[in-house]
Amino acid sequence: MNDASVIGRGTVVRGSVRGSGSLEILGRVDGDVSVTGDVTLGEDAAVKGNVSGVHVTIAGAVQGDVRGSEAVTLEHGAKVVGDLTAPKIGVMTGALVRGLVRTDGEPPLGAARRSLAGQAARPAVTAPKPVPAAPPPRAESALDEDAPESDDAPESGPIRASREAPPPPVAPTLAKGAKAKKKKKD
Amino acid sequence: MARLNPESSVLGPTTRVTGRISGEGALRVEGNLKGDLAITGPAEIAEGASVEGNVKAETLEVMGSLLGDAIASGPIALRSGSLVRGDLRGSEVSIEPGARVSVRLDTQFELDLGSHRRR
Amino acid sequence: MAGTVIGEGLSIEGDLTSEEEVVIQGSLRGKLTSSDAVSVGSSAVVEADVNAQSLTIAGQVTGDVNAAERVDLQAGGRLIGDVKASRLTIADGASFKGNVDMDV
Repeated sequence: MNDASVIGRGTVVRGSVRGSGSLEILGRVDGDVSVTGDVTLGEDAAVKGNVSGVHVTIAGAVQGDVRGSEAVTLEHGAKVVGDLTAPKIGVMTGALVRGLVRTDGEPPLGAARRSLAGQAARPAVTAPKPVPAAPPPRAESALDEDAPESDDAPESGPIRASREAPPPPVAPTLAKGAKAKKKKKD
Repeated sequence: MARLNPESSVLGPTTRVTGRISGEGALRVEGNLKGDLAITGPAEIAEGASVEGNVKAETLEVMGSLLGDAIASGPIALRSGSLVRGDLRGSEVSIEPGARVSVRLDTQFELDLGSHRRR
Repeated sequence: MAGTVIGEGLSIEGDLTSEEEVVIQGSLRGKLTSSDAVSVGSSAVVEADVNAQSLTIAGQVTGDVNAAERVDLQAGGRLIGDVKASRLTIADGASFKGNVDMDV
């Protein structure tokens, strides 16, 4: 049933990767990855774009959001700058993440914060918090147009480069703070 | 189970504190804290326990619930079954599958996609 | 056996209530209530009204103290505040200033 694809070590894909079946990425993709099966990213591999699949296992580097309809697992050595969303999320010791991490059913951080009663002044967790603003200039994939951004449905119909809409703004932090984070893309 | 280690404290399962806890040493919360926690040692939120407030500690392990931000100089671990909402910053943050989270991780590290170029 | 221990280095500003034994070696400013025994250790500094099943004081307590059973103020202990308890002992070397109501 599963057509398994592999993007080999020496391969660089510029543009989005979409389709059915599972995908193993050992090379590099500059663009969004979205498949109906599982996605595995090797430890020397990298994706500059969003990644979406059923079970998504990351051991390499990702600059983009990672979404799994069943699970997202970051293994030792993984480095992700972006948001993680799935019913089950595992971030193993040695994996590094900078972004929002949310398991299904949990309110986005903005709403969650508003429901906190009597919260004292927050410790200064440094300035440029990457609250993704509305326009997602991240993925450079020319081939992939802006798919309708559905926040809650991980697999919204046809598997497009589903990039979840940003959570409601957290606090009066920078609106376009996204830039600070996105700057990382050389 | 009263440990007489001056560096180690415990809030038992039926203990509720409303207010701020600060100081030296380690703290294990088995009850409930509504307020901030700032200690120099390891902090632990046991299963069934809850902290509503911000936490600053050397390390943090959450088995229960944390609603608030946390800063640790060392690692932060969110165990399966925990419920955590807030901003977390630690030398690293690990999350076990089964943890319910809505967190922002602000781990400091360099993302160098270039090093993942083809070889 | 559960218990609450506030170690020497720890400081609480606020209210603590418990159904267990509470041992304090650190400091607490606010209110302390337990339906079990409370022990204020020799290094402890408590600025609070204390309500407990029983209370042993070897450190410093400033506040009114109310125990269902007994209050024991040990040598080296210091209590400034009113005491309401059915039994009270003040050891030689302890320091106390306040009113006592044993008509509980």
